[in-house]
Amino acid sequence: MVRIYLAFALLLILAQACSWQPVKPWERDLHAAKKMQLDPHPLESYLDEHIYFSKEASSGGAGVGGGGCGCN
Amino acid sequence: MHDPQLQNCEDYWVGRFTAMASPCEVLIDTQDPILAKQLAGIAQQEALRIEHKLSRYRQDNIIHTINTAQGAIVKVDEETAHMLDYAAECYELSDGLFDVTSGVLREVWKFDGSDRIPSPGQVKKVLARIGWNKVHWRSPNIRLRKNMQIDLGGIGKEYSVDRTVILLRDAANVSCLVNFGGDIATTGPRRQGKGWLVGIETPDAVPNTVTASTKVYELQQGALATSGDARRYLLKDGIRYSHILNPRTGWPVQGAPRSVTVIADTCTEAGILATFAMLNGAQAEAFLNQQGVKYWCIRG
Amino acid sequence: MQLKKPKSIRGALATATCALLGSQTPQPAVASESGTNWEFDSALLYYSEKDRVTAVEPVVNARGDLGNDRFINLRFVVDVLSGASANGAVPSDRTQTFSGPSGQKSYTVAPNQTPLDPTFEDTRFAASVLWETPTSENVTSFLGANFSTEADYTSIGVSGTFTYDTNNKNTTYTAGVAFSHDTISPEGGAPDPFTEVPTGLTGGGEDDEGDDDHEGEGGESGETKNVTEFLFGITQIISRQTITQINYSIGQSSGYLTDPYKLLTVVDPVTGDLVPGVDPNNTYRYLYEKRPDTRTRQSLYWKINHQFTDDVVYLTYRYFWDDWDIKSHTVDLRYRYELGQHHYLQPHVRYYQQTAANFYHYFLVDGEPIPQYASADYRLGDMTTTTIGLLYGAQVGKHSEFNFRAEFMKQSGESHPAEAIGKLRNYDLFPDVEAIILQASYNYNF
Repeated sequence: MVRIYLAFALLLILAQACSWQPVKPWERDLHAAKKMQLDPHPLESYLDEHIYFSKEASSGGAGVGGGGCGCN
Repeated sequence: MHDPQLQNCEDYWVGRFTAMASPCEVLIDTQDPILAKQLAGIAQQEALRIEHKLSRYRQDNIIHTINTAQGAIVKVDEETAHMLDYAAECYELSDGLFDVTSGVLREVWKFDGSDRIPSPGQVKKVLARIGWNKVHWRSPNIRLRKNMQIDLGGIGKEYSVDRTVILLRDAANVSCLVNFGGDIATTGPRRQGKGWLVGIETPDAVPNTVTASTKVYELQQGALATSGDARRYLLKDGIRYSHILNPRTGWPVQGAPRSVTVIADTCTEAGILATFAMLNGAQAEAFLNQQGVKYWCIRG
Repeated sequence: MQLKKPKSIRGALATATCALLGSQTPQPAVASESGTNWEFDSALLYYSEKDRVTAVEPVVNARGDLGNDRFINLRFVVDVLSGASANGAVPSDRTQTFSGPSGQKSYTVAPNQTPLDPTFEDTRFAASVLWETPTSENVTSFLGANFSTEADYTSIGVSGTFTYDTNNKNTTYTAGVAFSHDTISPEGGAPDPFTEVPTGLTGGGEDDEGDDDHEGEGGESGETKNVTEFLFGITQIISRQTITQINYSIGQSSGYLTDPYKLLTVVDPVTGDLVPGVDPNNTYRYLYEKRPDTRTRQSLYWKINHQFTDDVVYLTYRYFWDDWDIKSHTVDLRYRYELGQHHYLQPHVRYYQQTAANFYHYFLVDGEPIPQYASADYRLGDMTTTTIGLLYGAQVGKHSEFNFRAEFMKQSGESHPAEAIGKLRNYDLFPDVEAIILQASYNYNF
């Protein structure tokens, strides 16, 4: 089951890769905007991560560190 | 030559093309695609005209005629005469640090990130062929000594930006932002008096992290130019040789910032001030403070 | 111009430029820096489970641009928890009473109710700092320290993440490492695992001379836990509109990983009923849980942001697995729908599914040998979490933005497992947990 998910993910990326040409600096205008940052709402992500860390058995993935608490 | 590539953004149009070995764009504050196309065309035409006129690589322009005259007098057109007057003035104002005859130094200095620096002997030989003071210039006649060359590339791009702005202002009543490879000027404020947002990405900005390091200026009037390119340098014995060469010594300027961006009334002025700042090496900031312009230096 | 005598050449230059351009004196430049030096972010979270835990959590974050690409980020959090949380015991047709490890804080659960521990209340304070600086040509370092404290838990940690740009800054490699050291000091000391939970109404609360006497039970001045994590990732700008990231993380926790407040009911092998405690003081028999003292977890995380004309879609997927046999999938999808005029709506859907830890048990059976590890904490069981929500955001003026989101979360698992015995078949052994999440946040750029 896992393998199917991973393969799917990889396929999506590779499919994009076919159209990969290096993106020129002047084509990166959209990437400078806040809404295209990897994490446009860091506080929201922090709070969500805290909720799900306390309520589920999995955690992390996007970064390291950030502190522990007694909730799990 | 392809027509400019047009793109519609949220509330303005952009025309893109290549000229002077740079990506060029014109932002036009209009929703009218026909007007946008017309204005982009004007910009492209002017950029290419000036590129052809000043290019070192062409054999059919005034620059080539001057550089191959072998000591003969060359009579130049009005526009070239103005540019040479400007070059002369810049030479005076910079005490000789800005010199349009210094281009021949590129024969011994190749900034490719390697450690191949020229020997003092090589540099001395080239120095003999440099010096605006050796040029006979009395408008409209110019005479170079044999083996000397002039290169107006140091002012060409910024000049073409300002010329384009003038033409666009005459052609239509909409605000345009001209951006030729990072040398920028605007014809005037946009609708509702707003300015164009210009983001300056620092040479070491980490893209698309939360920390993307971009200084954003809102430009309602005026121009912006950047001097310096952190990628062009030589590295030998741990010493970094910047690509800004002192025409009096033939060696790179010490302690120059990696990049200087200046805001001024015209692009030509901004460009020259940025270049002068670089030529001032470690004193770049002090120099710019004296000139009372908004600037931004990146070091380190 | 080698500045022995600095002078302004601007006037002369301007005149020369006019002559060059053949135009009149140009308008003076007008340019205002619209970048920011400090950015201030705040949020208030309200999380409330139906009949269970409620959390109110204000957060403030300040980010300062110190010039030269150096940034500092400071964050302060207060987390106020109240309500009740499942303690792991199963429902029964009898009244149940539970106490803390030294008989303090006892609470009673009515018949036919899922036992919830209402002594959950706590207030946590946390602070963290992150320092970002360019280390060399293409490398940026992010160094962080964090601290968190509450009545029974303290955590301190450090982290370092390093990014390397290449390919004209279209590709970024990331490596990160983090350490943390946590101290767990439950009131009354951490209970010995698999010992009986005091349940008598006369449980020794009044007899305590003070909790200090009991701190030695679980270990001198509290238990400890150490966590080490590593992360490796690649971020790639695929096109003008698309950016993607893949991360691999691995971490190990060691030390006290058990939850000192969770227990398992011991039930009769035939009727599924409660059995009397072995200790004569205890009405019924419940044992404190025990988890392994190490845990190694890994995850693969993939994220993609794609911008359409104006709208943006955010998709993430994470696959997680550890040596407790827990495996999970998380899919998170958000769509930012621009309404024009600088405000937007962002619907959000999250789907999470995990398989149980290999020592997860709904209950223990009287007479059977006690397993090496056991926990009935529902958060370690086979479980699905579904979240659906909507965020509304708007920019107000040049400097500020606020947003508000409301979400609904539901967790569910196997309510009637095959292993349910006797009376337990009639109970919902994994009741749904439903919660609403409300958050308001405000961001200001100076």
